[in-house]
Amino acid sequence: MFRLRLAPLRAAVVLAAGFVLLRVVYRVVFGGAGAGAGTGTGPLLLDMPLLRLDGPFSHITLFGPITLVGLGNAALSALPVAAVIVFFGLLNAIINVQALFARGAGRGPLRAISRSLVIAWATFPALLESVRRVRVARSLRGERSIESLLVPIFEQTIERALALAASMETRGFAATRVVTGVCEAPVVLRDAGLNFGAAPDKTGWHLDELNVTLKPATLTVIVGATGSGKTSLLHSMSGLFQHFYDGTQQGRIDIAGADRARTPPRDTAGFVGLVAQNVRLGFAAETVHDEIGFALAVRSVAPPIVHARVLEVAARLKIEHLVDRSIDQLSAGEASLVAIAAALVNHPILLLVDEPLADLDTAARDRVCAVLGQLAHEAGVCVVIAEHNTREFNLIADAWLQIRGSRVHQLSAADRPADRPAGALPIPRSVPAIDATRGGSTGGIAAVSAVPLASIRQLSVLHRPKLVVDDVSFDIATGELIALRGSNGAGKSSLLRAIALPTDAETVIVGGLDVRSLKRRARRQAVGLVPENFDDLLFTITVAEECRRADRTLAGASTAQTFAGLLGFDTVTDAAHLLQRHPRDLSAGERLCLVMAIQLAARPALLLVDEPTRGLDLGARTLVSAALVRAAGHSRAVLFATHDEDFARGLATRTLLMHHGRLSVPCQVLS
Amino acid sequence: MSEISTAAPGNSSDAPADRRARPSRRTDRARPRRSIRWTSWILGGGSLLAVAAFAWPFFVGAVPADAQVAVPIVAFALIPALIVALALTLDREMYTAKTVALLGVLSAVGAAVRIAGAGVGGVEAVFVLLILAGRVYGARFGFLLGLLTIAVSSLLWGGFGPWTPFQMFACGWVGAGAGLLPRWQNATRQNSSGQRIRATREILLLAAYGVVASYLFGLVMNLWFWPFAVGSGTDISYTAGADPGQNLASFALYSLVTSTLTWDTVRAITTVVGIALVGPAVLAALRRARLSPRR
Repeated sequence: MFRLRLAPLRAAVVLAAGFVLLRVVYRVVFGGAGAGAGTGTGPLLLDMPLLRLDGPFSHITLFGPITLVGLGNAALSALPVAAVIVFFGLLNAIINVQALFARGAGRGPLRAISRSLVIAWATFPALLESVRRVRVARSLRGERSIESLLVPIFEQTIERALALAASMETRGFAATRVVTGVCEAPVVLRDAGLNFGAAPDKTGWHLDELNVTLKPATLTVIVGATGSGKTSLLHSMSGLFQHFYDGTQQGRIDIAGADRARTPPRDTAGFVGLVAQNVRLGFAAETVHDEIGFALAVRSVAPPIVHARVLEVAARLKIEHLVDRSIDQLSAGEASLVAIAAALVNHPILLLVDEPLADLDTAARDRVCAVLGQLAHEAGVCVVIAEHNTREFNLIADAWLQIRGSRVHQLSAADRPADRPAGALPIPRSVPAIDATRGGSTGGIAAVSAVPLASIRQLSVLHRPKLVVDDVSFDIATGELIALRGSNGAGKSSLLRAIALPTDAETVIVGGLDVRSLKRRARRQAVGLVPENFDDLLFTITVAEECRRADRTLAGASTAQTFAGLLGFDTVTDAAHLLQRHPRDLSAGERLCLVMAIQLAARPALLLVDEPTRGLDLGARTLVSAALVRAAGHSRAVLFATHDEDFARGLATRTLLMHHGRLSVPCQVLS
Repeated sequence: MSEISTAAPGNSSDAPADRRARPSRRTDRARPRRSIRWTSWILGGGSLLAVAAFAWPFFVGAVPADAQVAVPIVAFALIPALIVALALTLDREMYTAKTVALLGVLSAVGAAVRIAGAGVGGVEAVFVLLILAGRVYGARFGFLLGLLTIAVSSLLWGGFGPWTPFQMFACGWVGAGAGLLPRWQNATRQNSSGQRIRATREILLLAAYGVVASYLFGLVMNLWFWPFAVGSGTDISYTAGADPGQNLASFALYSLVTSTLTWDTVRAITTVVGIALVGPAVLAALRRARLSPRR
């Protein structure tokens, strides 16, 4: 409630001084700085001529004599107001208003506004982070306009608001009534159908004839291509599809006895838990403790009970050590576990999990899978997971829901979906013929072409206190399509960014030029990077406009043509339906191709792509791998980072392995 | 698992069947409702009272001489009280997850813009956000966004003082005004070029409103503070006994030299440039937030 923060007091003192000064200036200008009657006459400082104004201002004279007493009087008369200003500064310095908001956010007549203020406070760190990210993206695109900075930041903020709203809604925020759940029938879909009929829907997506029954103590995995509607099917159970995303439901969906069409998610928060796709965006509190206890706090449960339940759930997931941490100090794996804990705090009958593995490395994946398996098989929860990384769930899944076209097929554990992405990845048909036997090491490559296209020399990146890239050197020859592999946190992204935007001279040489010394335009012609968060590069309202902006970078470039080409269309007119769309309405794979096309507009000698397969399923991966091969035709070499072994194996002519910031011995591609 | 239904103290009452039969409130799809409700009367009446409090220097002459000293004090107490009253009125309506999240996140953006703007020579760009958000989400949302943006930025940066409630109110009006601007409902279903013309017209309207709002904001903020800023003893001072014409002229000159020619003009230009540059994209982003996201 009380604390001391000097910054507001300092600001108040400055304001007060400014106020006094301003009043003196007014007196000088408007003829008030002479000594008034009855105060005696002080020494005359400056005798300025009087200037009388005309018309409606005839009662006003400017300037006039200035006396020391007059100035003193002016300053003195300002002191009461100045004192008020300092007083307010003092109040602001010692009262912790934030704590008051946090207290008011749970209950009381101003809970909506208080909760908004808590969210505003929690948004600031995210906002700073997003400014940092977008500034990098902007220099990668070579843009300097204001909108290329502000629009992506704003889009990220809106995305955060929506994720936050969804997570608050499913945890019972603003619930008006209490619905009780029936444990025996967690999910029953009878002749149900889903579509976006009401909203302007361009894709015509729909699911029909859904007949699904899920039992308690089972783990079900929803599989299907990107855009097939895994998330929509999941959210038809959470209720967000019908009540938040403006989807339309036909038929009947009963969740633990509640009619989903009529029951919004906030009213079923007591027995339906949801772990969203990007868990960090959905965090509504500032500490792990408050985050886990959020669903209870919004129902005005007494703080001691909330505390006990938070500790109980944390102990169950073995994350007691995280409880006192701040939300932004969590690793990706820890954040997932905290989000699961937050969804479990009400002891749900049904737990819905959306793509829990997308951002995790192997160790964290195993941990999350084990936790989900335990919840289903030991605690008796009905767990439903939408995920395209199905391999991890082969051992613990009891059933599969496979989306094919507009139908959903319920498969038992024995007959797993046939087209698992985890199996053999079809190698793109148009891989350029590359002699896989050549070059067992970097030396071997250098032997083939005398002068390497690019060479990286003793490149290091320091993110205090850690050296994330440690003395990396390698060469890239013309025509190569190189995969940079390594687990999460190995330093792949840092390495790629340091190659695209080097900070030290003579570390990145492309075509004989030191990239560090190049100007913006020449740098983009040497190296182009498609970063992991490729959406940050987009800032206009149509795809066509994005392409036009990109065309400015190089005379004669046709980004729209390149974009169509990357997608496998022959001419621009075949892709015309995409050009009029909002860039963020494209599918993830299409957006990645758009950003690749934008970066290729500068005709870079070396194209870098960071994690092109993240969050993509088989179909989109095939699209992207084909696009990478085509991109290799546009630039002279392509280097892509991935933690996906299968993807790299099917595509790359050479693989570099990264571990703890160092490059291991380059390994040979086996065909 | 049977403890679930009784797990929380708040769960004691079961939902009555007749309540279930009632159509659910769909406030989270809040479209501006056309019907005038009692809250509209409170908002309108509150705003009128606030206008009176802002313009207190011109009302002093109308009160008996004994009470004249109390007028500024009443005005100063009235504005925070009105803010609390209107906030209480609007709080119930805003109590849905989506509105609260958008309000919180956008007021953080607004506060950041305001603080960053103070760092670059007082370039006030916060009106851009208030106007665009007020336009898309309506007058009530715009009003609250104005209030919260000023509250958050003042508390964070430290520019908190007796003027803060007045600033909150004035910024709230800027946002609310943008929400009340005329909308051309698509009378005819247009093709893409028609849509483009409409989008341009909208940006022009908002930019024009931005200019008006910038100058009015400066004027209104000068009005209540004028007697304090100048004090007595100058020729543009507020004189309680003088005829309204003279006071008005004094105020006009004060306002002109204080902000109209400088800050307000800078603010108007910033707002127009901001709306022209990021307006279309930000409007699209705000409107997309109401639509279905990608799957």
